[in-house]
Amino acid sequence: MNRALSKLPKGWGGLTHDLGSDQRAFKGMPWGKAMMWIFLLSDTFIFMCVLISYMTGRASTAVSWPNPSVVFGLEVFGTSVPLLLIAIMTFVLISSSGTMAIAVKHGYEKNRKLCTIFLLLTAVCGATFVSMQAFEWTKLILHEGVRPWGNPFGAEQFGAFFFMITGFHGTHVTIGVIFLLIMARKTWRGDFDKGRKGFFTGVTSNYRAIEIMGLYWHFVDLVWVFIFAFFYLW
Amino acid sequence: MSQYKTQTHKIGVYLWIWALLFVFSFFSYMVDYLNFEGLLRWTLILAFMVSKAALIVAVFMHLFWERYAIVNVLLWPMTLMLLFVGIMAAESEYTVFTRLFYFVAGS
Amino acid sequence: MSDEHDYKIEAKAYTASSSGAAVSSGERPDEQELYHSKSWWTTYVFSQDAKYIGVQYICAATAIAILALVLSVLMRIQLAYPELNVLSPSAYYQAITMHGMIMVIFFLTALFLGGFGNLLIPLMCGARDMVFPYVNMMSFWIFLLSLLVLVASYFVPGGPTGAGWTLYPPQAITEGTPGNLWGLVLMLVSIVLFVVGFTMGGLNYVITVLQARAKGMTLMRLPLTVWGIFVATIIALLAFPALLAGGLMLLLDTVLGTSFYMPAIIAVSNFGKEVTTDGGSPILFQHLFWFFGHPEVYIVALPAFGIVSDLISVHARKNIFGYRMMVWAIVAIAALSFIVWAHHMFVAGMNPWFGFFFAITTLLIAIPTGIKMYNWVLTLWRGDIHFTVPMLFTLGFFITFLNGGLTGMFMGNVGTDIALSDTYFVVAHFHFTIGIAPVLVVFGALYHWFPLMTGRMLNEGLGKLHFWITFIGAYAIYFPMHYQGLQGVPRRYYEMYDSTYASSAGLNEFITIVTIVVAVSQLIFFYNVINSAIRGEKSKRNPWKANSLEWQTPTMPPKHGNWNELPVVYRWPYDFSVPGADKDYIPQNVPPSKVRKARVEKT
Repeated sequence: MNRALSKLPKGWGGLTHDLGSDQRAFKGMPWGKAMMWIFLLSDTFIFMCVLISYMTGRASTAVSWPNPSVVFGLEVFGTSVPLLLIAIMTFVLISSSGTMAIAVKHGYEKNRKLCTIFLLLTAVCGATFVSMQAFEWTKLILHEGVRPWGNPFGAEQFGAFFFMITGFHGTHVTIGVIFLLIMARKTWRGDFDKGRKGFFTGVTSNYRAIEIMGLYWHFVDLVWVFIFAFFYLW
Repeated sequence: MSQYKTQTHKIGVYLWIWALLFVFSFFSYMVDYLNFEGLLRWTLILAFMVSKAALIVAVFMHLFWERYAIVNVLLWPMTLMLLFVGIMAAESEYTVFTRLFYFVAGS
Repeated sequence: MSDEHDYKIEAKAYTASSSGAAVSSGERPDEQELYHSKSWWTTYVFSQDAKYIGVQYICAATAIAILALVLSVLMRIQLAYPELNVLSPSAYYQAITMHGMIMVIFFLTALFLGGFGNLLIPLMCGARDMVFPYVNMMSFWIFLLSLLVLVASYFVPGGPTGAGWTLYPPQAITEGTPGNLWGLVLMLVSIVLFVVGFTMGGLNYVITVLQARAKGMTLMRLPLTVWGIFVATIIALLAFPALLAGGLMLLLDTVLGTSFYMPAIIAVSNFGKEVTTDGGSPILFQHLFWFFGHPEVYIVALPAFGIVSDLISVHARKNIFGYRMMVWAIVAIAALSFIVWAHHMFVAGMNPWFGFFFAITTLLIAIPTGIKMYNWVLTLWRGDIHFTVPMLFTLGFFITFLNGGLTGMFMGNVGTDIALSDTYFVVAHFHFTIGIAPVLVVFGALYHWFPLMTGRMLNEGLGKLHFWITFIGAYAIYFPMHYQGLQGVPRRYYEMYDSTYASSAGLNEFITIVTIVVAVSQLIFFYNVINSAIRGEKSKRNPWKANSLEWQTPTMPPKHGNWNELPVVYRWPYDFSVPGADKDYIPQNVPPSKVRKARVEKT
């Protein structure tokens, strides 16, 4: 199949050829992967609408907006380091993307044990990220008096947007961690090697599922890149 | 479905991109730590953000090696979002103008 | 010339196999892993077969539409006979909100995309089923759950929300608007569930069309029904996110007292807690809502456009005029539909420069729509028109949609919109374009595809009676509203008081009486459906002599898996009345060797 795929015209000619051909518009792409990509496109639009709302809220406020580097700074060894926790969270999430990519590679190479290990590492990183986010929420709610409806630092919407954006993102990470654990179990049990039928869907298991999971996980990291830039750094 | 055999990349590709992502993240963080201001700050933040996003999408999500059909299907709708950003930026400017004009100025 | 050379496939990029095998490319359609149900529950209730899911969607959407229809009759009675007090002011606002939300989202979107999409897409593409049957099944049940949550809002304190289907804050949340707490929360939860369920279904429709077509079925050989539903699904996948984001923030404003949309108001009471809000922007909600809301009406219209093209080509025995332009027009309408949204906000107080931009794009969108109208008329020109019930409904569509589209031009211009905004002119316009016209298409489509679903024909006489009452009646209801709008009669008023608008009392009474007649006459349709399903005349295979693949299955109605062997497609679905052919139709899967005498063009 790969040889046949490589014989197809490439580039823009390939685009018109693919869209004009019969059967498949995306050559060599399994259905599940195409579905995940289109779902991610839709999810991207949701996050972009949320971030655009944040931009509108912040740009139209007549009251001053709190300084994120101060609000999210941490006191370490007597000095306050701006955005320290956020920097660590970014590090953790990027690492999880790396481990995920390696897990996908091992999946396709049918290294069951290594695949499981890297899937679990990814899940651990994801869980660490969520716990750090939960710590941040606790600190802001309990110690600094930040509420969805007001905060002592500045514009009222700051807390509202913070909790909504990070909450929505954190929910996506949590769902990802749950699915990673499910995938890890399936890999460990050898479902993908044996082609065992799924419990709910009845569909034959295949290592492709790990790549599809990987797409979702990288998307979650991608959204964090944007949140980090627009909410924390800007 | 067995027609879809995939070739995998060498692990080096992922490790190099992983490292690059750390470098860009570090630089983004430095923009804030060193207190850059104004246009320079925003340009740098956006540049690093776009570079990181491009790396993740192209390498980790494999789009660089996919055929043009899926790449175009995914990227062209982003222009819609850019338009929405532009419209809402203009709208926010108008909102803050009316707020300052009616509620602040001359009060 | 052997048949293999005549279906357009990637064969050009490969060397043809010397054995002359049917597949010279080595590329085969993916063999689908179908779910074979073993119990009554998994066959008829938790069905994973798209045809059954389609029928489930049609039934659920129709059921909720009946509720919305009853609400509209009550609203009309209140308007015509306010002295009867059949609806209090609160109840009236709740009625318009539920009527609007149900009809647009829960009825039409679910019916066209979930109902007709599931029923027709796999069949018309030459696939055995949707690409992910389990997720498809879940999408229906989540849709049903969203309907239950919506109806549950009638049973919570305060009743359903009365904020209008547009749910504008701050009024949606402040005291004085009915259902501003629980009702609004349940409405938003219902919408979130709908979007989740729809996304699951929508992914299926899009990927089935893109990846699961039969051999020889290129995108440009798909029936326009599939194009309409496919493009509408893409629009929906890109537009519902804005509704989800906007609705989520509205939910947070309601429940948590955040100020995303709430400007400085002294106190808002959220579930017993008094909260002061400040700094929010109501117009942000309007932008988010209409960024969704305008594409939404095209989600309703485009499947109707596609279905109409297929109905008239079959029932006028003529190829659709300008197929390629019809496809490009659908795509252009879809793309443009995303950049016209603020024409709903000309009087909302947004940035004044926007009026100029959005008026231009709104007028632009009339061009591809106009092209489609011309092409439909040119399809009918010198066609062998059979005045069957589906054809009658299609002709009704042309007239009503033309009317509705023309009135849209008045509101697309900022100047005239300032006078017409929030009047009955708007009500008339949108009922013509998304109320009457697509509903006529729904009826026409149901009459056309009823044999596919049940193997029996609907009664023609009753169908014609149903058509004439519905068409003339609907025109009589909504046409006078244009005059009311030009008079300045405002929309969403529960009575005319003794204002200057009291002069339209006679017209209101007339409209109401016709409404009751039309509403009751829909019983003819329901009787026809139920009676024919049980003991209607058994239909022949391919009773309308159509070309598209859904009629070319070995059994009718199609069985699970649709075909024994997957079909191979050699032509477009519009080879009607081809000169030289024995029959006046050539189905898509008829190889060229069987129609040598016909002067068929390469498609």
